[in-house]
Amino acid sequence: MSIKSKDDIIQAVVVADTFGDEFLPLSSDIPLALFPLINRPLIDYTLEFLSLGGIEETFLFCCSHTDAIKAHINQSVKDKAGWSLTMKVNVIVSESCHSFGDCLRDLDRKGILRGNFVLLEPGTLSNIKLLPIVKKHNEVANKDKGAAMTVIYQEAGIGQMGRDLNEEVVVAVNNNNRVLFHRKLGQSRDRKIEFPLEIFLENSNVSLHHNLKDTHIAICSPSVLPLFSDNFDFQSKDDFVKGLLMNEEILGSTVYCHVTKGSHFGGAITNWRMYQAISHELQNKWIYPLQPPALKAHNLKNGVVTGDKVVLNDNKKIANSIIGDNVTIGKNVQIEHSFILSNTKIADNVIITHSVIGPNCHIKANSRITASSIIGKDVVIENEQFIENSLVQSTQPENCEEKDKLGKKAFRLKLETDDDDLGALSRKLSQLHIGDSPVEESEDEAFTDSEDEELSYTQSPVPDDTKLFFTEVIDSLTRGFEDELRCENLILEINSSRYAYNVTVKEVNFNVIKAILIMSLRFPIGAQYFSQFVRLLSFFAPILKNYIRNEGAMLDCLQAIEDVAISNENVNEKWVMFTMKWFYDKDFVTEDVIMEWSKSLDTKSRFYGQVKPFIEWLEEAEEASSSEDD
Amino acid sequence: MFQPEFQAVVLAAGRGSRMPEITSGKPKCLLPVGTKPLVWYPLYKLQQSGFTDVILVVLENHKSEIQATLDKSELEIKIDYFPVSGKEDLGTADSLRLLHDRLKSDVLVISCDFITDFSLKGVLDVFRMHDASVASLFFHPHGGELTIPGPKSKHKPERDLVGIDAQTNRLVFLASASDFESELSLPRSLLKKHTHVKMYSNLVDSHVYVLKNWVVKYLNSQPNFTTIKGELLPHIVKKQLSKPPKGAEGKSIVSKCDSEDIFNYAKEDPFSIIIRESSSYNDHIGDSKPTYHGDSIRCYALIAPRDSFGVRVNTLATYWAVNSKVSERWDKITNGLSLVLRHPKSEIKSSQVDDKCVVWEGAKLHEKTSFKNSVIGANSEVCSFSRVFNCIVMNNVTIKEKVALENCIVSDGVTIEKGCQIKGCLIGSHHLVPENSEHSQEVLTDSDRLMEF
Repeated sequence: MSIKSKDDIIQAVVVADTFGDEFLPLSSDIPLALFPLINRPLIDYTLEFLSLGGIEETFLFCCSHTDAIKAHINQSVKDKAGWSLTMKVNVIVSESCHSFGDCLRDLDRKGILRGNFVLLEPGTLSNIKLLPIVKKHNEVANKDKGAAMTVIYQEAGIGQMGRDLNEEVVVAVNNNNRVLFHRKLGQSRDRKIEFPLEIFLENSNVSLHHNLKDTHIAICSPSVLPLFSDNFDFQSKDDFVKGLLMNEEILGSTVYCHVTKGSHFGGAITNWRMYQAISHELQNKWIYPLQPPALKAHNLKNGVVTGDKVVLNDNKKIANSIIGDNVTIGKNVQIEHSFILSNTKIADNVIITHSVIGPNCHIKANSRITASSIIGKDVVIENEQFIENSLVQSTQPENCEEKDKLGKKAFRLKLETDDDDLGALSRKLSQLHIGDSPVEESEDEAFTDSEDEELSYTQSPVPDDTKLFFTEVIDSLTRGFEDELRCENLILEINSSRYAYNVTVKEVNFNVIKAILIMSLRFPIGAQYFSQFVRLLSFFAPILKNYIRNEGAMLDCLQAIEDVAISNENVNEKWVMFTMKWFYDKDFVTEDVIMEWSKSLDTKSRFYGQVKPFIEWLEEAEEASSSEDD
Repeated sequence: MFQPEFQAVVLAAGRGSRMPEITSGKPKCLLPVGTKPLVWYPLYKLQQSGFTDVILVVLENHKSEIQATLDKSELEIKIDYFPVSGKEDLGTADSLRLLHDRLKSDVLVISCDFITDFSLKGVLDVFRMHDASVASLFFHPHGGELTIPGPKSKHKPERDLVGIDAQTNRLVFLASASDFESELSLPRSLLKKHTHVKMYSNLVDSHVYVLKNWVVKYLNSQPNFTTIKGELLPHIVKKQLSKPPKGAEGKSIVSKCDSEDIFNYAKEDPFSIIIRESSSYNDHIGDSKPTYHGDSIRCYALIAPRDSFGVRVNTLATYWAVNSKVSERWDKITNGLSLVLRHPKSEIKSSQVDDKCVVWEGAKLHEKTSFKNSVIGANSEVCSFSRVFNCIVMNNVTIKEKVALENCIVSDGVTIEKGCQIKGCLIGSHHLVPENSEHSQEVLTDSDRLMEF
């Protein structure tokens, strides 16, 4: 090594922390870098990959649990781990960093990187040969002075396990592999993807890739660090790529991409699902030559890997799971698609599926832990507990409610999720549930249908604007109700539809209320009907409040009730009565207006028959109250 | 009766509206290109590819002129003229619709203005290989700006956006760039199905389409489509993403309500479906969808290799460019047909005619004239002391004494009087250029005869 001058050495930067809450509660005790991945700390794989890839100096950037990581690295060097022979690892500690971007800004200040370097996001595993790609990046950078980064992608078919659904990405590149467009789709539900037209006009040939997964490895030019420093809003590599593409002219920097194929594997553990996927791929030697510790003779069939000194009393019901060192498992225990970390005790008759059990836990007899539950370190689960889709930790979190206390050393942890549905979706996508069939199929179908409409060239009569407005309102509200969107947003949506179709205020009031009422007719009729109805109305109460503001609007509201009741023959007998009463009770309509309106009704109609009892009740109530007043 | 695998249709009923200066008095398909009229090239190409019959769609009032010209051109292919009325402006799809009951087989549609040295076999094979609904042929552009006669104008080519699946060569997107303002939105399902799409913006569409017979039948049911390129093809390309309406499988085609649906036309032979399903062949990797994603509509594109040459002579720029190239590439275009630059029935008394010049039948070149790199059309006459450099002179043109012509296109029946000096001009048909005029970079025409400019 000494023959090489210092400048020829390729350096790598590894950021060890995720900064997110993906791995809570486990990550509050163990840093991601030391997460066991098939009974070997994650960082060992990463470092082995870097040294095999030709890197000779690595900076490991730690922001938390730094002592543990340092100790581990020092121990590995002492033990003469494979990578330590050819690569120097420097641990950089900076506890003030709160994001990936902060780490790079800190590195910029420290000024320890000399030339192009390899940048790894947290939790990366790979077997890609880095040097040829670094060389290619150098060539590109010689031609294009602005070339800041080469992002490495791996070709992967849709639905592949190692493709993180949160990170579905569409990339457009030109002939020279320059990235022209980059968009993460994962959480959006847009059916269309908008590409700026100029990228097609300026480049004769643009490749649109949707067959890629991000390996979380990038080759960076020295300009990357100052770019991060100059742009404080760059929190992650994705921000960086996005920002550069958006302000290509201002920043004068370009991003390139490299697509690996075949046996070149790359990926990062960004959430539990990826943890599971990569464990699986590692186990099946996709990442060769990276390998888990030599498999033991007593490893079981059915995709089970066990660590040292595991005591198994009965292994009939254990499948597709990874069991750490010194784990004791009792009789008749069922474990499927789960990860049991070291030193944990599991008593008899326990069922664990699709879950992670942290180190030093004790799961007592007859418990069930299922559906993406994550149990932190040192947790004790009492007998016969049933834990489903929960995060459990051993210490009491702040603001802990009584019902979240599961035992002396078991507390349910609630994460502050973003209220919008995207947060919930992304959380769902990051859970452990490989094996579930992809949900996307139906979505596809739905899509083609609507696409069809759009495609059709047949001329149907133009529907009138108010009707269009009405259908749009119904769509917005239905979606809002299902996804529990905030009513303010729905109001905005309705108002924008209103301007789009140029509908009068009166029509807006009428149609919005009609839409809500019509939705109520979709519930199945039965004992639950009215409770569901109330739930619906209460959900939309802010919207009702927004639109029913004066007496005119109240009249519109009553007319809407009338309209819905008349046009739907099979509406429940009590429906009208119930609706009127609810609106009256919640003060959306006043007595006077109802009385006024009732006079306009045709007394012979069926509808009047339905309203009549309510009017009579109102009159009685009024008499009663006025007599009280006397 | 024996039914051929493909029926060839050459569309020659266009008016050449993109270059009205030179097509106002003459069918576009008879414009001289090198030693032959334009339409000769696609006809010869078909003949070379093994076609024995061709349907030539022409305008009624042009028929006799075209027929007279082609009868002299020694083509062996049997030409079946199909005259269409010139009253309405007929699009390419309209012409095809009029023809529909004569089309019993799959159809190869080719435009009269297409010149190439690439064999048509390629695109036919792509069609055969995938049992495609539509196969089309594209070329890489041949760059190089030329100065075109006429007033200087920015030449803005129409640009198509062509999306081709990199793995399977399926044609998955086709639209004109001018249909979009600043953004191009693609359905997400498209990218999901075709995970690697190459989007080209500078390909030359050869207007060579191989269509399954059902496409013609479907076209017949859709009176709104006027052009193949602009409407029919984009529509079919888009429909690849759709699924047949549910329940349509069991119903008979007779059922009236959705008989207009494209999927009722795009029915595949059940036998070939069984063969495909029992075969281990799959056209793509990366997902676990069946071969062709189970689509019954399949469009394919073939991009000719870069060294091949293919051009559509539908603008002045291409017309001008192709004239300079066609003799050079003659061997490849015709696959070894001998090139007769000077027609034996022409009368050449001049000693200064360089070997790039083409002289047509009955042309008269008097003594003491000079010619470089020019085409002199049939029965045209150039009198003494005149010179013609880099020009296209069409039929029945008279150029009097002491005329200097350079970089010009001279249409039929033009008379250029003595002593004119003309550079870089377009001269419309039957125009008379008075004595001693001097012009450069202009359009010389009796302006009322121009349809539009």
